[in-house]
Amino acid sequence: MITDGLNRIWILSKKNISLYIKRGPVLIFGLMFPFFMTLSWVIGRDISINHVFIGIVSMTSFFTATAIAPVVLPIETREKSLERILVSPISLNEILLGIIIASTLYSLIITSIITIIFILMFSIVFLSISIIFLMFLGICLMSILGSLLGLLAAANPTDRTSDVMLIVNLIKFPLLFISGIFIPLQNLPSNLLFLSFFSPITFLVDLLRFCVDGSNFFTYQVDIIMLLIWIVVLFIVGYMLHKRTMPKRLAETGKKKKMMMMKKKMEVMSKK
Amino acid sequence: MTFQNNNTNKISQELDLGKKSTAIKVSNLVKRFEDLIAVNDVSFEIFKGEIVGILGPNGAGKTTTIRLLTGIFKLEDKASIEIFNEDITKNLNKYKINFGIVPEVSNAFSDFTVWQNLKFSGGIYGFPKEKIEKRSKKLLEQFGLIDKMHSKTKALSKGLKQRLNFCLALLHEPPILILDEPTSGLDPISVKIMRNRILQLKKEGKTILITTHDMQEAQTICDRILIMNRGKIIADESPDNIRERFKSTSTILFKIDGVLSNDQKNTLMDTFNIIKEENDYYVFSSDDAIKDISMLYNFSKENNLNISDFKVKETSLEEVFIHLIKKDSISIGG
Repeated sequence: MITDGLNRIWILSKKNISLYIKRGPVLIFGLMFPFFMTLSWVIGRDISINHVFIGIVSMTSFFTATAIAPVVLPIETREKSLERILVSPISLNEILLGIIIASTLYSLIITSIITIIFILMFSIVFLSISIIFLMFLGICLMSILGSLLGLLAAANPTDRTSDVMLIVNLIKFPLLFISGIFIPLQNLPSNLLFLSFFSPITFLVDLLRFCVDGSNFFTYQVDIIMLLIWIVVLFIVGYMLHKRTMPKRLAETGKKKKMMMMKKKMEVMSKK
Repeated sequence: MTFQNNNTNKISQELDLGKKSTAIKVSNLVKRFEDLIAVNDVSFEIFKGEIVGILGPNGAGKTTTIRLLTGIFKLEDKASIEIFNEDITKNLNKYKINFGIVPEVSNAFSDFTVWQNLKFSGGIYGFPKEKIEKRSKKLLEQFGLIDKMHSKTKALSKGLKQRLNFCLALLHEPPILILDEPTSGLDPISVKIMRNRILQLKKEGKTILITTHDMQEAQTICDRILIMNRGKIIADESPDNIRERFKSTSTILFKIDGVLSNDQKNTLMDTFNIIKEENDYYVFSSDDAIKDISMLYNFSKENNLNISDFKVKETSLEEVFIHLIKKDSISIGG
């Protein structure tokens, strides 16, 4: 029974990866955005290579992780393939986990490639293997967290990708600006510092600072615990929201036309 | 062989009925969309090996009924569904394997190839790779899609997409098939192929529930017809029985010379409950042809109209359908 469930989740994940990584919004918001944001941040400024490394890794991880989840459900609602999935023996949990795994894997692979290239190109040195492990743990947690954030936004029962992307970007950018990527937490004014505690990226950036140059604000244990807490909270809230909005998603998109048809017909008949 | 009278026929029919085992039994299905009741307390039973057609005008609740049955829409408290005498109302996921669903519009993944779609579906149902490949190839051959197996689904024509939908629905060998307007929008050759295939599936023992607008389709392939209007079932009979019931009903066709004013047309429509206009003929159903013909004669005299042609014919299933829908709408107060 559990094996069957895991098998279905893996099949759904593979489907999500193969169908959606080449979609426009995934490429634009997952790859182009972090690339150009980093360029505009770095060019013409005197920023240390360690600082650039932390920024690039954090942004890539966050942007790529939030790219796939908002695309899957609106497209599948529009193309009615979601209905096809739902009439087969698949539960909502399995559908959501399929999206989370696809999104996490996409983010992990892209971020790992960028991280390794950057380490090799600029000879970034780590004090021990355990520090490297800690850094990859942070990237893993951020990939899961970003996927969950994207999934949370995708609970909006729409069949238009742009509607969900708008919500994701509305959440993403403020979280990014108060995360300590551009201004270290130590230099933030107290009110912004308080706000930065509500951004999950803060804890990845802080963890990376600990790994790269020891300029962390919290301890690495706090960073990991906070990332885990964010994951649990986002998963619970996301699941509850999807459970609530899924019937609405199916009903509204599928029935819009027929309701209009019925209402028109009733109007004509009552006129008669 | 020679010893057969009406009584023995009746007894054997009853025995046959007794043998029928229920494949699907739904009770009290209700679906509301805000203030609109799309499905209103619908109950029906389908026996194993039967082809049952749900007929109705657009918005009658046919597709919504199917969506309730297949677990797309949540059931309300008093609703219940039994599949092969097992109440599965509370455990929707477990019974989904019994259904193969062919939607009206293709819902296969458009960026997957035909083969990838089948592989995905087989995997979801937990079949081993070899079984998926063997079964997929067999179905692709049966439905004439084998040379399209590596084509992207979005590149297929509507007819080919519908054939793929059949392959996807049959891949896991479900005992029950639910076909939502499967021949809608297809060319006549594809329609014929599909209908023959549906009859073949019945011979293989499948129970089939089909929604359609097409009377000819219902008459050709269905054992029983459920007519739906405004979310309710208003008739549940075999096509022959429905026609038998309306045997005394005639269809009257007449042609009027010249152009009618709007007022004249409205009065004509209301007086005779005209069901359609066809090739300059006004068509209406009549339970008492002689009375209606004399009424028509009086009407033409009073309004100075000249009836140039006039025919009385046996009511077809299509006309019965329109008659029932109109009658139901009038009784509701439309």
